[in-house]
Amino acid sequence: MKILIADDEALSRRLLEKTLERAGYEVVAVENGRAAVRQLCQSDGPRLALLDWVMPELDGPGVCREVRRQQEESYVYMVLLTSKEAKEDIVAGLESGADDYLTKPFNVDELKARLRTGERILHLEGRLVEAREMMRFKATHDALTSIWNRGVIMDLLGRELMRSQRESACTIVLLGDVDHFKSVNDTHGHLVGDEVLQEIARRLLLSIRSYDFVGRYGGEEFLLVLNNCKPQFAEARAEDIRRIVSSRPVQTLAGPLNITMSFGLLLSDAWGVRPVEELLHEVDAALYAAKAAGRNCVRVAKPPVEPDLPMLSVREPIQRSR
Amino acid sequence: MTNTNQRSGDSSIDFAELLERVDNDRELLLDLMSIFKEDFPRHVRELSDVVAARDIKKMTVVSHTLKGMLANLAVTRATSAAAKLEQLGREGGAESEIAEAHRAFQREVQGLLPEMEAYMAEVQR
Repeated sequence: MKILIADDEALSRRLLEKTLERAGYEVVAVENGRAAVRQLCQSDGPRLALLDWVMPELDGPGVCREVRRQQEESYVYMVLLTSKEAKEDIVAGLESGADDYLTKPFNVDELKARLRTGERILHLEGRLVEAREMMRFKATHDALTSIWNRGVIMDLLGRELMRSQRESACTIVLLGDVDHFKSVNDTHGHLVGDEVLQEIARRLLLSIRSYDFVGRYGGEEFLLVLNNCKPQFAEARAEDIRRIVSSRPVQTLAGPLNITMSFGLLLSDAWGVRPVEELLHEVDAALYAAKAAGRNCVRVAKPPVEPDLPMLSVREPIQRSR
Repeated sequence: MTNTNQRSGDSSIDFAELLERVDNDRELLLDLMSIFKEDFPRHVRELSDVVAARDIKKMTVVSHTLKGMLANLAVTRATSAAAKLEQLGREGGAESEIAEAHRAFQREVQGLLPEMEAYMAEVQR
């Protein structure tokens, strides 16, 4: 584990460095408080620190305060090294954000034991962060396909539509539906249906840019939000995506299956300021038209008149089963 | 060869404690002593200068540094002498008290470097 030593006094620094290297730590040694803050606030900087109390430029408690203020990403466990023994000094040190203190000259076994305590706390923090990230992932991603879930893709759609209006840009909204998905489920069972959905999600993800969004909108429906697009290329992009999905059979437990998708396409700049649910209704109608035209194709939602409606709002979108 | 763990009782340095502190690593010990030999005289001179200039704030800082160095090398009596100066600096001690504490400190560290050099020679032998 990486550990930072901050001590302006060369002898003390060398003694600590060697003692900690011998204990198996990867040591980073600096000689003033500013350098300590720089190291500890780096994203891959040490998470364990031994800080001398009295240092030039910035003292140990000052380092603790700065690190607590700047470093929000990961917890840093900081131990103050001090020859100060007065209770008020110790209290001030701990209140600056230090986790522990050690009186100099230190006893090697005590130093190691206190650092092990720090490691335990950092390990616990790591597990909590991991659990939080997992919860965050579960709350925002679809459990089957691991792409954005309905709530998130709707939020992203609302946000991107607002942005494209603000920047006079164009967002492409694509609503896709797997053709004849019910018969896949009826013929091969739900497990095979799940495999198809997972593979479709993967292909859709591969077909878009890193800053575009794709989410599971409903059972076999997927919503794609492609921002900052040139309107003249919109249909060609939608066609590319459709072709990527159907380019080769999906390998399933029941063998290879030929799967296609139908898409409704909407260009935000052609619709002006409209509520999100209205735009979703229109793109859904275009998808319906694609289904009616024989499936495995793209149909564009065209506005009947020049629009001029108030602010966008995200509400529950329309439901339609196919 | 003299046993470097056992030295006379009037030594300024507690060698047993020092060896324990470096986990009997003679190489590290020589390393620390080399740093000490290089840095210590400079800090002692600085202390004399700031005491003469009655710069109490600076004196407190320098005596704190000296106290840390001496404590790390288990130079116990000189550590206490430096601590006394630091304490007088923090508490705003009288000029005469500071002068006396400074003299006491100088007495304690007077023979320190030759003693350390002799010990280093023993360790290297």
